[in-house]
Amino acid sequence: MLANTAESWGTPAKFFHWTVAVLILVQIALGFTAAAWRLSPMKLELFVWHKSTGVLILVLMLARLAWRLGNPSPALPANTPPWERTAAHASHALLYGLALALPLSGWVINSAAGVPFSVFWLVPLPSIVAPDERLEELAKLAHLSLLIALCLVLAVHIGAALRHHFIKRDSVLLRMLPETWRHA
Amino acid sequence: METRLTPAWIVPLGFLMCAHALAADWKMDPGASRLDFVASFEKNAAPGVFKEFDTRLARFEPDRPEGAKLDVTVKVTSADMKSGDVNRAIRGPEWFDFARFPQAEFHAEDIRRVAPGRYLARGVLSLKGVKKELEVPFAWQESASAATMEGEVNVERLQFGIGTGEWANGSTIGLGVRVKFNVRLRKEG
Repeated sequence: MLANTAESWGTPAKFFHWTVAVLILVQIALGFTAAAWRLSPMKLELFVWHKSTGVLILVLMLARLAWRLGNPSPALPANTPPWERTAAHASHALLYGLALALPLSGWVINSAAGVPFSVFWLVPLPSIVAPDERLEELAKLAHLSLLIALCLVLAVHIGAALRHHFIKRDSVLLRMLPETWRHA
Repeated sequence: METRLTPAWIVPLGFLMCAHALAADWKMDPGASRLDFVASFEKNAAPGVFKEFDTRLARFEPDRPEGAKLDVTVKVTSADMKSGDVNRAIRGPEWFDFARFPQAEFHAEDIRRVAPGRYLARGVLSLKGVKKELEVPFAWQESASAATMEGEVNVERLQFGIGTGEWANGSTIGLGVRVKFNVRLRKEG
């Protein structure tokens, strides 16, 4: 089933959700490892992986956003109180915004740092700003702040999904999982 | 000891003086000259520039370059790769080692013409305490009392111990570095 229905997410929506979810976790681990590594060829390689994964997430998120805009999302359970609806929409909008803003701020860091970079060593990524050490520091601060915000919203997101499943006992989490798991 | 010029000495001496009168000494115009290099970083071109350097070309006569002498001094510490992080890294002992080797030099006394307007200077490059023979091709364009000397040469960084230890593997930072020069010279005197 490709398109979303009123009851459940379609396969592309699930693919985007879980691929980006895994990539974001890998990406956070790569980012901290690369930043902490002593200056060596390994550090440079780790940063190429981190930056490449960031570009991949950016591309996937843009495709995902287009898919979501062209494809109505499943409805929330009818008995969902208005504040929960507002919170759900706001947190989803924040997640999309942060998952786009983080790679973009990383792109600014890389450009401001004046370091040449090719995505997965293959596709040269153009600079979006001129080399500028002050801007690089600001962009690094923004990157870290956005990451902290992402982690907070992710905690709410995961907490809410678990609450739907274990406390409210509705289908909100299940409908993002593979079809076959529902009947297991 | 006293030396007397016999008539037999005068003829060759006269030729020498004639040749010397034709061959000019050239001095660099720093504002109109550039010394660039292109390294490679994770499969990308990583350009840099030596902001301070000097070129002197003595006794150079385009039609008879054999007696000329080329002297280039490069202030290695003036290297700029457009990135604060990279600029800090290249100062260290594994790379240029600014503290011990602030200057590089190229001296050539074997300059020959290989085609009209094209020359080859064979000399010795001293860089990071290592001396290696190097052939530098260049194009020469002269107008009135000024001239342009332009060319490029490949330098293998490991021959000069630049990027040692774990950096000696060329997979992250390439081994070949392209050095490009575009030098504006003015006739002296």
